Amino acid sequence: MAIHSKVSSDGKQLTIVIEDRFDFSLHQQFRDAYCRNNTSDVTYTLDLSKTEYMDSSALGMILLLKDHVQLYTGQLVISKPNDTVNKILEIAQFHRLMTIEL
Amino acid sequence: MSNQANLLNIAIAILFVIIIDYWFIKNEMIFVLMSSSLLIVLIFMAYKIKKIANQKMLESDVNEMSSVDDELIHSVISELQLFLHQEINIIENEAKRTAGLVEDAVIGISSSFKDLQLLSEEQHQMISVLISHTQTIGDDENSSLEDFVNNSNKTLEDFVSVIINTSKQSLETMSYTDKMVEQFDAIFKLLSQVEGLASQTNLLALNAAIEAARAGEAGRGFAVVANEVRSLSVSSTELNHDIRNEIDNAKEIIAKLRSSVETMASADMTSTLEAKDKMSIMMKHVESVNHDTNTSVEELSLLVPKINDAVGVGIRSLQFEDLTRQSLESLQKNLASVHTISDVLVNFEKTPTITVHQQLLSLKEKCQQVYQDTQIAESSRSVKQLSMEEGEVDLF
Repeated sequence: MAIHSKVSSDGKQLTIVIEDRFDFSLHQQFRDAYCRNNTSDVTYTLDLSKTEYMDSSALGMILLLKDHVQLYTGQLVISKPNDTVNKILEIAQFHRLMTIEL
Repeated sequence: MSNQANLLNIAIAILFVIIIDYWFIKNEMIFVLMSSSLLIVLIFMAYKIKKIANQKMLESDVNEMSSVDDELIHSVISELQLFLHQEINIIENEAKRTAGLVEDAVIGISSSFKDLQLLSEEQHQMISVLISHTQTIGDDENSSLEDFVNNSNKTLEDFVSVIINTSKQSLETMSYTDKMVEQFDAIFKLLSQVEGLASQTNLLALNAAIEAARAGEAGRGFAVVANEVRSLSVSSTELNHDIRNEIDNAKEIIAKLRSSVETMASADMTSTLEAKDKMSIMMKHVESVNHDTNTSVEELSLLVPKINDAVGVGIRSLQFEDLTRQSLESLQKNLASVHTISDVLVNFEKTPTITVHQQLLSLKEKCQQVYQDTQIAESSRSVKQLSMEEGEVDLF
């Protein structure tokens, strides 16, 4: 599995870790990782520290995640992307839309 | 001369007294006294005579030398006149030559200064044109390279946002498609229930046919009905199969849709990333080029008035030609004065009628006259300007 998701004990933290390639093949798993969480005020952390490659579908998936987060008034944090991934996020101007922690 | 005669009379008188004393009085005292007096008078007379002789010798010497000096003075003055004449000519020629050289040089320098000024202005205009050309990209709207890079950057950003939105929409489509597939699966479940009903109906119809056969002639009509029901159940099963096949086809189409949506959603961002990097580098380059260009333009625009000033100073400095010419002219006047004296010296010939003394007097007079003329000329000299800094002179 290239995706691991973990909910904290109090249910206020959802961490999604993506390994290696973040592309279209993961779209169903990625959606499944957050779709069932319908509680509000949850901080969603997308850990990209192990992500090596990202294409435009990954950006689309992140935007869908953002829509979901906004729907349930939560927060979205992208954590520790590597240089290449961070550049892609910059080109997509995601730093204006969400918090990116380097 | 009367002194000598008196002295001689006194001497004779004393001698007479001595003789009388020697012969008649025989007074020794008077003899000694008179003798010593006579000696003194004689010594005094000798001194006087010698003095007169000396004076006479001196007078004869002076007479002899004055004739010699006249000749010497004439020859010296003649030499002096020749020397003066030659020197004046040389100085005059040199002065003329200098004036000519200065004039030529000044004309040349002046025109070269003017050319320099024109060329500098021309150069400045050319550079301005060159700079305005390098800053634009050559389209009709005269847009700058900076605008072009900015527009490209904007286009790239728009392109990226279009790609991302496409991906997002595709993924949404994908989730809808997945839901549709789930719906299909639900339909399959319902279909299998319908199939169960059909097979039960079939079984039921078979039982009914068996019961009708046992009833014999009375159940004949019922057997027909049972048979119809059975054939209906068979048709229903066939219909179920057809529906299942159609839905399977739809599933295949959905699989194709899925792959094409995947292609649509998954765009590789690497090339976009590279383009963006190149754009950033280009932007920085354009900025630095623009900055350098603006700095150069400012420096150049400061340079032009500096060149003009330098040329102005140069041209103003050229009025030294005018000053030099006036100086040379007054120098020539002075030379003419010296010439006048020289001409007087030419007339300083040995003439029997006029003595050297008179000639020297007339020379002295002439000298005084020329000296006064020169002084007047000097005080009302046309060149009052002693320094070139004292006045502004327009270009000539």
